[in-house]
Amino acid sequence: MLSKSQAKAFFLIGTVGFSLIFVGLTVDTFQRIPEQTNQKNMTAEVVRGKHLFEQKNCMGCHTILGEGAYYAPELTKVFERRGEAFIKAMLKDPDSMYPGQRRMTNYNFSDEEISDLTAFLKWIGTLDLNGFPPKPDLVRSASPTATGDTSLEQVVLKTEDRPLVFNQMCVACHSLNGQGGTVGPALDNIGSQRDITYLTKWLKDPMAIKPGTTMPKLPLSEEDIAELSAFLSSLKGSR
Amino acid sequence: MKYSSQRVAYWFFAVCMLLFSLQLVYGFLMGFAHIGYDGLHDLIPFNVARSTHTNLLVMWLLAGFMGAAYYIIPEEADREIISIKWAYVQLIAFVIVGVTAIVGFHFEWWEGRKFLEIPRPLDYLVVVDVLLFIGLIGGTIWKGHRYTTTSIVLFFGLLTAALLYLPGMINTDHQTHDSYWRWWVVHLWVEGVWELIMGAIMAYLLIKLTGVDREIIEKWLYIIVGFTFLSGILGTGHHYYYIGTPRYWLMIGGVFSALEPLAFLGMAIYALAMAKKGGKSSTNRTALLWTLGTAVMSFVGAGFLGFAHTLPQVNLYTHGTLVTAMHGHLAFWGAYACLVLAIITYSMPYLTGRKLADTSTNIFAFWTSNIGMVSMTIAFGVAGIAQVYLERKMGLDFLLVQKEIEVHFFGLILAASLFTIGIIAFVYNFIRFGAPVGEVRGAE
Ligand code: HEC
Ligand code: HEC
Ligand code: HEM
Ligand code: HEM
Ligand SMILES: [Fe+2]
Repeated sequence: MLSKSQAKAFFLIGTVGFSLIFVGLTVDTFQRIPEQTNQKNMTAEVVRGKHLFEQKNCMGCHTILGEGAYYAPELTKVFERRGEAFIKAMLKDPDSMYPGQRRMTNYNFSDEEISDLTAFLKWIGTLDLNGFPPKPDLVRSASPTATGDTSLEQVVLKTEDRPLVFNQMCVACHSLNGQGGTVGPALDNIGSQRDITYLTKWLKDPMAIKPGTTMPKLPLSEEDIAELSAFLSSLKGSR
Repeated sequence: MKYSSQRVAYWFFAVCMLLFSLQLVYGFLMGFAHIGYDGLHDLIPFNVARSTHTNLLVMWLLAGFMGAAYYIIPEEADREIISIKWAYVQLIAFVIVGVTAIVGFHFEWWEGRKFLEIPRPLDYLVVVDVLLFIGLIGGTIWKGHRYTTTSIVLFFGLLTAALLYLPGMINTDHQTHDSYWRWWVVHLWVEGVWELIMGAIMAYLLIKLTGVDREIIEKWLYIIVGFTFLSGILGTGHHYYYIGTPRYWLMIGGVFSALEPLAFLGMAIYALAMAKKGGKSSTNRTALLWTLGTAVMSFVGAGFLGFAHTLPQVNLYTHGTLVTAMHGHLAFWGAYACLVLAIITYSMPYLTGRKLADTSTNIFAFWTSNIGMVSMTIAFGVAGIAQVYLERKMGLDFLLVQKEIEVHFFGLILAASLFTIGIIAFVYNFIRFGAPVGEVRGAE
């Protein structure tokens, strides 16, 4: 059995040796980070956004790169998931985007601050994270990148034929084929309930049709609205 | 108590009790927010509650380690602390900086980096305060009559903990760099140098409580802390899987962090073996109970539950979910919170001169808080696993999943209430001991 001085030597040699290896790996890692993280796209805007993110402690509710708190959605891929317009609207007035849900602080950001934060979230989504966040492997999500490979997914989810804005914004509050949020009603049968004129008007300004409704006036372009109302009127309870 | 300067430990422990109690209040705030009762949102939003909860935890643990050092080092080094006056100055400065940080959080004076929220100007004050502390402890050992392995390991642990605070102060514009350095503090603390502090305090308690020969205990101390570093340093890689760092960390982090539980297992086996071997029928069996509790619960919380999500294939799905919160709670509780409560339980009869060691209140506190914490861990665990399946594997929306798992937070609050009853009993027992007027035996 080891004597006490041998045990001490084991401790000292092990500690010093592994510390040196660790420092070496750190140096190597820092040389590789720029390429892996698209550092060339880290504009001044992105950097300002990063510092704002830190100053407001967004990590105290959200996770980013999987680090932070477990109270609010993971933000690494939020730009791809929700799109620019939605994020900007969310940062402008969080309460309007998810009425009656868990609350996010309203920071009264200026437009410049909002674009800084959005730029940061856009950049963070382009990092090569060795596969994180994982693509749901039991059922593919209603995300714009989902591709149906198996027959099960073909039946449950065909999301590629939807307008991109729908997959980004509308599913935050509405579900289609059982996927999506529950703030607003499911839209599976909306085409039988409403016609295209109504839908166009509704999307332009829900308040004008139904004062006091909790569906916000979303930042949609004319083309978006035309595409969406055509799509919605085709939803007649079928898959 | 051998030296009158050991008394300063009492005041550190009193600070511990206060900050710990406050930490629990903020825990409840978050628990309720998770089930939809966020009435205080405008005053104390979730991110404020969270920073306060975790920083109070770190602060009271550090206060406990400092108190433990002020208690242990004079006895080990065989002399009074070199300056009692400065020890009190150090305590008061620590409290002022801590309270300022906590109050500041409520006004968004912070850095939004998990666990390192203390704003930069206060960081410098922390460094000064810790340097003073290290100076006092180091000076006492240096001028003492005896160099023991226990005191050297304790000192080395405290010193490296202080040094590792510095990487957390590196300014960077890059989120990946930020995260990289953050783990030098967070990981290398709890899975590195704090384990030295833990090993040393455990060794001291086992020497005192079991009467096993110092040479044997200290030899094992070296082997265990040697193993800690062997696995724990490169084990940092388990935080570098998915933050924009090279792929080789999946391999390195996976292999070395998978070995980390062995250090905790070693610690548990060694403590239990020493307790069995020691013939001394201890006068403070409750302190031994807390010591063995530390050994066992740290293995379960850090070793077993850490291993459960440390392999990259698993961590890909559990990374940043409530599974992490499950592990974080039991690991911190088992390894460090229990440890501080053990040294408090051991030293209070000497510090205050009242023989309240084996009170039923403290024994009740031990069992109630441990059962409560294990139940909390189960609640977090079930919520976390459900979250992983629904959100990460099925692709359901975050908020929808949160609704689905709300019921487990109800369970969490029930379990936390049980836990809190245990802690109230502990604090009540602490208060009953009264002021630190214990008899000073002097050098032998
Ligand atoms: C008090 C907690 C809290 C803080 C602080 C917070 N958020 Fe949020 N955030 C939420 C919650 C909760 C949601 C989910 C939507 C809801 O219920 O409002 C959310 C949603 C979002 C979304 C939309 C995510 C999605 O998937 O739809 C974005 C983008 C976002 N937050 C960005 C930020 C940024 C940037 C900051 C920092 C400036 C921040 N949040 C700070 C709680 C918070
Ligand atoms: C912030 C959440 C939210 C978002 C985002 C959202 N909606 Fe809604 N939506 C609602 C709510 C809530 C209702 C129910 C309104 C009511 O009855 O007052 C609703 C109702 C509707 C209706 C039914 C109107 C009717 O009178 O029958 C349609 C159609 C609709 N939304 C389409 C959309 C489309 C398309 C999008 C994406 C561009 C979208 N919604 C985005 C919350 C949202
Ligand atoms: C006493 C020792 C330990 C304590 C106090 C502790 C505590 C924590 C805490 C608080 C976190 C969350 C950190 C953050 O996100 O900022 C964490 C994460 C983690 N811990 Fe530990 N831990 C300990 C030991 C271990 C051990 C021994 C292992 C592995 C065998 C381990 C594996 C992990 C992993 C893999 C994560 C990352 C989780 C994620 O990806 O979200 N831990 N730990
Ligand atoms: C009354 C008892 C407690 C309750 C109700 C409670 C609740 C919580 C909640 C809800 C979170 C936040 C999770 C999230 O981000 O959504 C949290 C975080 C945390 N708590 Fe507690 N807690 C309690 C006691 C404790 C104790 C005693 C400890 C330490 C021993 C502790 C250590 C932590 C840590 C380390 C984190 C951060 C975890 C992580 O980031 O993974 N808590 N707690
Ligand atoms: Fe770790």
